[in-house]
Amino acid sequence: MATFVDRYPDEAAVVKACLTVSFTALAIGAFFGLVQALHRTDYFRFISSVDYYTVLTGHGVLLALVFTIFFLVGLFTWAVVQSLERPMPDIRLTWAWFGLTTTGAVFAAVAILAGLIPSIDMSADVLYTFYAPLQAHPLFYIGLAMFIVGTWLAGADWFLAYRDWRGDNPDERIPLQTFMVLTTMLMWYLSTLGVAVSVVVFLIPWSFGLVETVNPLLTRTLFWYFGHPVVYFWLMPAYLMWYTVLPKLAGGRLFSDPLARVVFVLFLLLSTPVGIHHQYLDPGIAEGFKFIAMTNTMFLLLPSLLTAFTVVASVEHGARQRGGKGYIKWLGALPWRDPAFTGMALAGAMFAAGGFSGMINAGMNINYLIHNTLWVPGHFHLTVGTAVALTMMAGSYWLVPQLTGKRLYSRPIGLLQVVMWFVGMVFMSNAMHRAGLVGIPRRTAEPQYQSFDFNAVIGTVGELQAQIALGGTLLFLSVVLFVFNILLSAIEDPIENPVDDSLPAPLSGASGSPRVLDDLRLWTAIAVVLVILAYTLPLASIVGDAGWFGNVPGVPVWVSANVEALGDLLREVVA
Amino acid sequence: MTLSRAQLLVLVAFSIPVAIELRVLFGFFGIDLPLVAVVAFEAVFLLLIAVAYMVGAEPKSATKH
Ligand code: HEM
Ligand SMILES: [Cu+2]
Repeated sequence: MATFVDRYPDEAAVVKACLTVSFTALAIGAFFGLVQALHRTDYFRFISSVDYYTVLTGHGVLLALVFTIFFLVGLFTWAVVQSLERPMPDIRLTWAWFGLTTTGAVFAAVAILAGLIPSIDMSADVLYTFYAPLQAHPLFYIGLAMFIVGTWLAGADWFLAYRDWRGDNPDERIPLQTFMVLTTMLMWYLSTLGVAVSVVVFLIPWSFGLVETVNPLLTRTLFWYFGHPVVYFWLMPAYLMWYTVLPKLAGGRLFSDPLARVVFVLFLLLSTPVGIHHQYLDPGIAEGFKFIAMTNTMFLLLPSLLTAFTVVASVEHGARQRGGKGYIKWLGALPWRDPAFTGMALAGAMFAAGGFSGMINAGMNINYLIHNTLWVPGHFHLTVGTAVALTMMAGSYWLVPQLTGKRLYSRPIGLLQVVMWFVGMVFMSNAMHRAGLVGIPRRTAEPQYQSFDFNAVIGTVGELQAQIALGGTLLFLSVVLFVFNILLSAIEDPIENPVDDSLPAPLSGASGSPRVLDDLRLWTAIAVVLVILAYTLPLASIVGDAGWFGNVPGVPVWVSANVEALGDLLREVVA
Repeated sequence: MTLSRAQLLVLVAFSIPVAIELRVLFGFFGIDLPLVAVVAFEAVFLLLIAVAYMVGAEPKSATKH
């Protein structure tokens, strides 16, 4: 009964390396989050308001891209190896993609953080959406490109492992966790094409000065072509844990393997042809295309609701196995002492709330009410900032012991940590949503204006700000507890069985699911057709309007000290 | 019903969004619930949970004697 590290020491080393990068990004990003929460509520300001945007870019990139995706590549490697029950085909390839993604992430982080040091003539204050005409130092875009290519290689590595396995097992169903990894990666290949073209063809040449201008709407559209599927790229590792780990932690088994497969196939099909729902307010895209994007988005509710049903059913099954009774009372039979279980359960509960506020975002007409307000960060701190981030932290309490062979330093501290995240996020995201409803903007260091006051419908703006500052502080403390708990676990002595790592078979297994679900070629082909249908006409009209390279020069934010030059440029841009 | 310490913690955590949203709920009906009312509600709720916890814990220690 050896654990993962004893069976696959080389793979465990790579996964540990991925998680180390991930948690480092989490720690720095959480600190930036605290700085923002205190700065924009005017509780404590020690950076200049100009530097706020550097910090905000660092926060968004380090948390939404580095923390989440490095956790994902580590988790997926673990999932492929342990569900195929074989090591990676060539560990050198595995280390190669780890090296490439890490170098890319470091390049991007250096370009951003250099913005805090005036003596270095480099910056990337472009926010994590890196919209043109805001321009970053070339190092930022090069780092991004390396990072994306690294994830492609990681996907290739998992596909190679699967091919080897298929050679030995020609007739078996794809093991569920590997199925999840492969469908997620197919979606990722399809969707990162957009951002790769945007970065390599347009933004890199433009930041080097090889071409003078960009077509901002084209690069925005290519960004959002990737920018919606990326949210499922964050979410799928959380789903993988909710479907395959959470039922076990609850004491039961996954309710239905076929349903889980259907959900992942639906995400492959529907994730990409919806990106325009982030551009409801972009001029230059016809309303009809926006309407199609909205319709597709509403279809995406289906896999989310299927997930809610399957996961809750599995957890309830677990509770009843543990002796739970009644309509509601079974909740009490769940293993609340286990931080891995409680963290994931709380994350799931918050995801439900995030889903509701997401439907407001998705509705084309109601979107106008909350567009670019604090409502939006309120929404995505529930989804990526909690459903994903908290599931990853909670999952680590179960996963890390398998990678190190050492027990978790403290379960009570872990429990306190996940509950603290929940409470902190209740305060912060509730206030952000309500502040957004009364029009308080996002992405600003100075939300107050002269001769104008926001009028909170319920309570006061001061209360909302207090809630954001309090919530942000609790969230930051929660990350501190998490990081210390993991660090202290790393210096424990190795033991025989640090954690029960067995995963029971689903109640309704793969044999009951139609074979066609495993036909990855078919689903990929349909996904490609849907993307072509959704994007050909809008892209053609965007390029037809302003050309491939547009006519907009950059706003070189790294000479931001030179305000006058910036003003001139802005005037040029507007003219 | 016996409450464990972990259940106590989770119950307290869940009471906070309920308390906060109470004002929004009352707001739907045009009632402006003052902040103190929410604080009072939360205090009462915490008290109730604390009592439930203590009552639940008692029989256990009683059987030990
Ligand atoms: C310590 C916990 C955290 C705190 C205190 C925090 C706080 C904040 C605040 C106040 C903002 C809004 C700033 C503004 O619009 O002016 C923000 C933005 C953002 N946060 Fe967080 N956050 C935390 C954790 C996270 C996590 C875990 C993620 C994702 C995994 C995340 C992703 C983002 C993103 C993507 C933005 C938007 C960046 C942009 O507008 O370019 N945050 N955060
Ligand atoms: Cu979206």
